[in-house]
Amino acid sequence: MLTVTMLPFFTVPRNFVLLEELECGMKGSGDGTISWGLKNENDATFTYWNCTIIGPPDTTFANRIYTLEIYCGESYPDKPPKVKFCTKINHLFVNSAGKLDDKFHALMCWSRNSSIKQLLKDIRTSMRDKKNCTLKQPPENSTY
Amino acid sequence: MADDKEPSQSETTSSTIKVIVKTPKEKKEFEVEPDITVVSFKEKIAEKFNSTADQLVIIFAGKILKDGDKVSQHQIKDGHTVHLVIKSTPKTAPATQTAATSSSTSTTTSSSQSSGSQGAQPSTRNPPNMPFGLGGLEGLAGMGMGGANLGEMQQRMQQELMSNPQALQQMMENPMVQSMMSNPDIIRQVMSSNPQMQQLMERNPEITHMLNNPELMRQTMELARNPAMFQEMMRNQDRAMSNLESIPGGYNALRRLYTDVQEPMLNAAQEQFNPNPFATLVGGQNADGTNQNTENTSPLPNPWGTNPAPTNRQQQRTTANPSSTTTTTTTSTGTTGNQSHGAMFNTPAMQNLMQQIQQNPSMMQSMMNAPYMQNMMQTLGNNPELAQQILSQNPMFANNPQMAEMLPAMLRQMQSPEMQALYTNPRAMEAMMQMQQAMQTLQQEAPGILPGMMGTMGPVPTPTATTGTTGASTTPTPSSTTGSTTPPTLPPNVLSQMMQALATGGTPTGTGATQPQGPPEARFQSQLEQLTSMGFINREANIQALVVTNGNVNAAIDWLLRTNQS
Repeated sequence: MLTVTMLPFFTVPRNFVLLEELECGMKGSGDGTISWGLKNENDATFTYWNCTIIGPPDTTFANRIYTLEIYCGESYPDKPPKVKFCTKINHLFVNSAGKLDDKFHALMCWSRNSSIKQLLKDIRTSMRDKKNCTLKQPPENSTY
Repeated sequence: MADDKEPSQSETTSSTIKVIVKTPKEKKEFEVEPDITVVSFKEKIAEKFNSTADQLVIIFAGKILKDGDKVSQHQIKDGHTVHLVIKSTPKTAPATQTAATSSSTSTTTSSSQSSGSQGAQPSTRNPPNMPFGLGGLEGLAGMGMGGANLGEMQQRMQQELMSNPQALQQMMENPMVQSMMSNPDIIRQVMSSNPQMQQLMERNPEITHMLNNPELMRQTMELARNPAMFQEMMRNQDRAMSNLESIPGGYNALRRLYTDVQEPMLNAAQEQFNPNPFATLVGGQNADGTNQNTENTSPLPNPWGTNPAPTNRQQQRTTANPSSTTTTTTTSTGTTGNQSHGAMFNTPAMQNLMQQIQQNPSMMQSMMNAPYMQNMMQTLGNNPELAQQILSQNPMFANNPQMAEMLPAMLRQMQSPEMQALYTNPRAMEAMMQMQQAMQTLQQEAPGILPGMMGTMGPVPTPTATTGTTGASTTPTPSSTTGSTTPPTLPPNVLSQMMQALATGGTPTGTGATQPQGPPEARFQSQLEQLTSMGFINREANIQALVVTNGNVNAAIDWLLRTNQS
């Protein structure tokens, strides 16, 4: 039985991880409420990303499109990316400059298995949190 | 462009692209020209979605598409998906939003001023992408398999488990166990938490290499699962052996191979016997059932039969005869017979325990790692009757014939951890390397006979590995025992596959004759460098990939990425 355990274990290089994520984003995987792609399509380093999250219904985020920027450093995916909201948002883990707090659980628990997609999903899910879902939101389309 | 009413009908025959438009609720496919503007694209979409273009926001790859842009500007290609948001027409600004060129300017100010902030805690749930059990497994390394309490527990558990086939079955069938087995991450964890394994890997890159080849492993599994295939293979080997003998000098080559390679190997492996304290726990069960699964594997006459035997070999030979049931010294120490298994297993306490096992992956894992557990598995694997009995008793298996078929093979497969014992012995490894070299020589001298040889060479390590954990004189596997002295009666054995792969460069079914010479590191030097520069830093995996793909870098990358996912 343990023979099955003898599978390869090596780490997929950063760029291949990100390329995969990019393709995933282009093909629109996910439920249609999140989207992600390179800020500059020709960025061969896969560093700067644009993402959108559509606020979940029945929250104060509902029907809004939040755009955010994700920065994937050299050590991605070993280290979590940095996330900054472009659209103004009132969220417990987003500071006054729009930056997502490192203590956000998805960033805290970041692992190689994590992905931009998952991160966005988690952010969106967090909008449903009791503590977040009633927060008043800044005027729509205001940006940082 | 804009007046093209039906999305499906294109104005020209020129290339259109299919774009999937997806809302959270539905998705539709549109065929558009790449140089269509976003606003006209919206108009097309609006018709299909019963809304007006003004209400629509198209998002692609994290960007909100601006009305003035062209679709092609955003690298939207055939088959890509854009997300669509349909704004409800708000009371405040029904149509002002997208009329402006910039979609990001909107005058909608909804009721956004409400009560202030409350203190909050983030939900501390696990990240959803963390597969079940992985978290628990992280503690596994710490637990090891030697913890005193755990050890005791395991022992108790094992004893009870042995007597309760049903529970074992349940355990095997448990989706958790299965998912654990199929999850490379967990497996990686387990592997790397085993210090023996780590040592082995460090010391012997070749082995790492072999272990890294899932293809190989899979094939082996397959083989073990398919007795017919196995028998066929053995027959081929036999034939190859006799052919070999008829080649001038072939017989001598075989002999030399044997004395130069096989013997040192056996010696080396025997050196490292540490009599397994647990061997006696399960050893007894073998005595009556061991030899039952050998009938179909009886080979052509043993080419070694007339060979003068060194003392070491003779010693082995005493245990070689499949029909000599007296070879196990532990026969008398067995405590439970096959018949008593069912009964003991039905105690409520046992079932309780089993439930616990099922709920605690790390416990389960360390249990699996325990030597006596492996031993038990081996016993099961070698004793089809026992396995059969287990199977027939469990309704789950009875209802699932496929599963039932697989189980014995799987059990047999479980013996393989014992190869670890072999791997950790540097001398055994050395011997194995020698063997490989000898094979290469042979390959050069007489390429035609190689495939046959492989089979006969490969299994050699098995008996040593087996005995390594069960004690020198305890050889519960008749088939593998015979393997040590009578190559033609070889079990479906991982090592034979491995050796074959080693010698033929990863294509176990290949003849080997067509393979270029030299180690893969040398052959694929430049490709290796390429891979490394791309960031694939695991050299062994790289080599493996290159071997599999015959040096094609692109294919190797594919392979690496694919195997990593699976």
